[in-house]
Amino acid sequence: MVRQIELLTKAQLLNVWNINAVRYSRDRKKRAGMIAMAALRGLLVLMMAGYVGGAAYAYILLGMEDVLPMYLGMIAGVFIFFFGMFQAGSVIFQKNSYEVLCALPISQTAVVVSRFLVMYLGNLLLATAIMLPGMAVYGVMLRPALSFYVWGVVGTLFLPMLPMTVAVLFGAVITAVSSRMKHKSMVATLLSVLLVFGLMAMGSGLSVLEERGELTADLMRNFSGILSEAIASVYPPAVWLGQMMTDGSPRAAAMYFCRSIALFAAVMALVAVNFRRICRSLYSVTARHDYRMQELKIRSIPCALFVKEWKRYVSSSVYTVNTIMGPVLMLLFAVGIFVAGKEKILELVPVPPELILRAVPFLMAAMSCMMTTTATSVSMEGKQWWITKSLPVSAKDVFDAKILLNLAVIAPFYAVSEALLLIVFSPGLMESVWLLVLPVVLMTFACVFGITVNLRLAVFDWENEVTIVKQSASGAVGGFGGCLLILLGAFPVVFVTQVSAHLMRFAVLAAVLAATAFLYRRNARTNLGTVG
Amino acid sequence: MLTIQNLTKHYKGSDKGVTGLDLEIEAGDIYGFIGHNGAGKTTTIKCITGIQDFDEGEIWIDGLSVKKDAMACKERTAYIPDNPDLYEYMTGIQYLNFISDIFRVSAAERRERIETYADAFEITSSLGDLISSYSHGMKQKLAILSALVHTPKLLILDEPFVGLDPKASLVLKDVMRNLCAEGGAIFFSTHVLEVAEKLCNKVAIIRDGRLVAAGRMEDIVAKGGSLESTFMEVAVNGQTD
Repeated sequence: MVRQIELLTKAQLLNVWNINAVRYSRDRKKRAGMIAMAALRGLLVLMMAGYVGGAAYAYILLGMEDVLPMYLGMIAGVFIFFFGMFQAGSVIFQKNSYEVLCALPISQTAVVVSRFLVMYLGNLLLATAIMLPGMAVYGVMLRPALSFYVWGVVGTLFLPMLPMTVAVLFGAVITAVSSRMKHKSMVATLLSVLLVFGLMAMGSGLSVLEERGELTADLMRNFSGILSEAIASVYPPAVWLGQMMTDGSPRAAAMYFCRSIALFAAVMALVAVNFRRICRSLYSVTARHDYRMQELKIRSIPCALFVKEWKRYVSSSVYTVNTIMGPVLMLLFAVGIFVAGKEKILELVPVPPELILRAVPFLMAAMSCMMTTTATSVSMEGKQWWITKSLPVSAKDVFDAKILLNLAVIAPFYAVSEALLLIVFSPGLMESVWLLVLPVVLMTFACVFGITVNLRLAVFDWENEVTIVKQSASGAVGGFGGCLLILLGAFPVVFVTQVSAHLMRFAVLAAVLAATAFLYRRNARTNLGTVG
Repeated sequence: MLTIQNLTKHYKGSDKGVTGLDLEIEAGDIYGFIGHNGAGKTTTIKCITGIQDFDEGEIWIDGLSVKKDAMACKERTAYIPDNPDLYEYMTGIQYLNFISDIFRVSAAERRERIETYADAFEITSSLGDLISSYSHGMKQKLAILSALVHTPKLLILDEPFVGLDPKASLVLKDVMRNLCAEGGAIFFSTHVLEVAEKLCNKVAIIRDGRLVAAGRMEDIVAKGGSLESTFMEVAVNGQTD
């Protein structure tokens, strides 16, 4: 059994981050792409380390060093949970290798244990990237006892267990519930979005800080206590980890280790016992074999391509959940402003009201385009890309459908958000026009930019769409890059006050339109035969 | 119908590809394309269908350049790959309707053709199911239907008989003969030399990216011999006239 686990784990690790493909692929372009992606991941880890290190430094300067270890534990836990939720399907219940392994003389316990191990190792890297810089800053500034480091290192080793196990449970339940429904992906998407926002609402324990008013001196004195109270309400294991590291509390250590190991082992055993049953239920497909020819609906080429894009979009809950979060955030932003009211907003954000109105269109667009569908839509064609390439359709038609889909996904959220904002701010005619037009232009730019990036960083030979939606260079550059460019456009409009605001917005609008037109024309001229 | 002149395509960082390939396929031809694994068959086919760009040479379909009139060439062509990766999120009928929309096939024609071929390949009852529930053979049949629904002048097939049941193979052979009788042309790769020998009037043999034999079947196959023995001599042992 141990030998089987070892062999299976090694085999799966070869596939992690395309290590084997980078080592043995003879396609230089492909290798270069993979190495660039690895470099991007490294950069993201460095950015994360920089953020954690900076936060740790600030915590210590503010005299909140007691809370720092538990804060690090909570950040790591939350990250592992959200990254892990979609890994249940792609790692633990992976379909392709399941069918191959079923035919081999390998115990299903070995298969499950090896998959949990692979997921654990990936999450351990994430936990280390968060804990290590924080611990280093703590160590340099406060010179703690050796026990701090010992408990810190051991605690980090066990850190992924709880959030990862809970993520697997949630992921499996969502997949299992949705697999019994007719519209599997739509149900999975709805459940995932509800879960994420439900957890965010539960996490509003942290908003206790805001409810207690401004950061008065009195509050600062009690800040550590309030924060640790808030963390305890959101993620108690982080508090145990913190107490273990700072006080060496045996009770906290016992709680932390026992609960982590117990839950991890229990869920792993549960999955191992029911592995085949779960996989069978997840992968069973219903075919009714009762079709009779009916009248067939005719569509124009652009309409047929759009419908195809729509079907692709709603067929994948991973794709839908990840790309719909931005528009949902935009809507929540507008609802928040609507509920709080204009006066409360002006009270909370002590800047002239006209500045808020200037920034809002950019914030709306940036939020809704945090992860555009277009940034991964070409890669999402995967092994079926040959169909598009062999059809008599122009690149322009293909990309138009992808851009339209992205705008169609945002449209209902945009409409409701705009209505709420117009009611709250009751702006004049010109301000209303800017509030309505600027986001549309910026969103269109982000969609076109997404296609441009994806064409250059397209990957088609993937096995699991998670690697494209959540882990691809194109998704990161196309999504966050577009978002960043939109926010850059906000700077002159919000901060250059010497020039007329209308003139400045007009200049930004013209620049964005020109950039969009340039990229759009360039994309439309693409020879699809050279892509992929 | 299909003219290939000096087709050259090489992949960066790989010694695979096609070099200086010339071929002429006329209306009415069923042209077999054979060669060992990695010889360059699929590369050639992908260049013809516009799935892949090529480095040198020119390809004409029905007198139109694949490079200059790509859209017009694709409108005249249908391609069936060796591994039919179709849109798994669509049902069979949705996929056929999508292809018909792209090729602007009228409602009456698409219905008539789908009914005819779906019945012949025995997949009518499955057309309402998601393609993800199809077996390899059913996907292959659906890919064939999608190629026939717009009555192409040139049909390009990569290993079309892999995964098909005996009856479907027979139906496909009949369809291929009928298409050629009506003035179309077929170019297909295969490893099943017996099928190629019986079905094709012309054959081309490719070895390491270069064409080593091409022409009428009776000219290529030595008298009293078989395509298999010719292939072994030409493509494996490297003997050419």
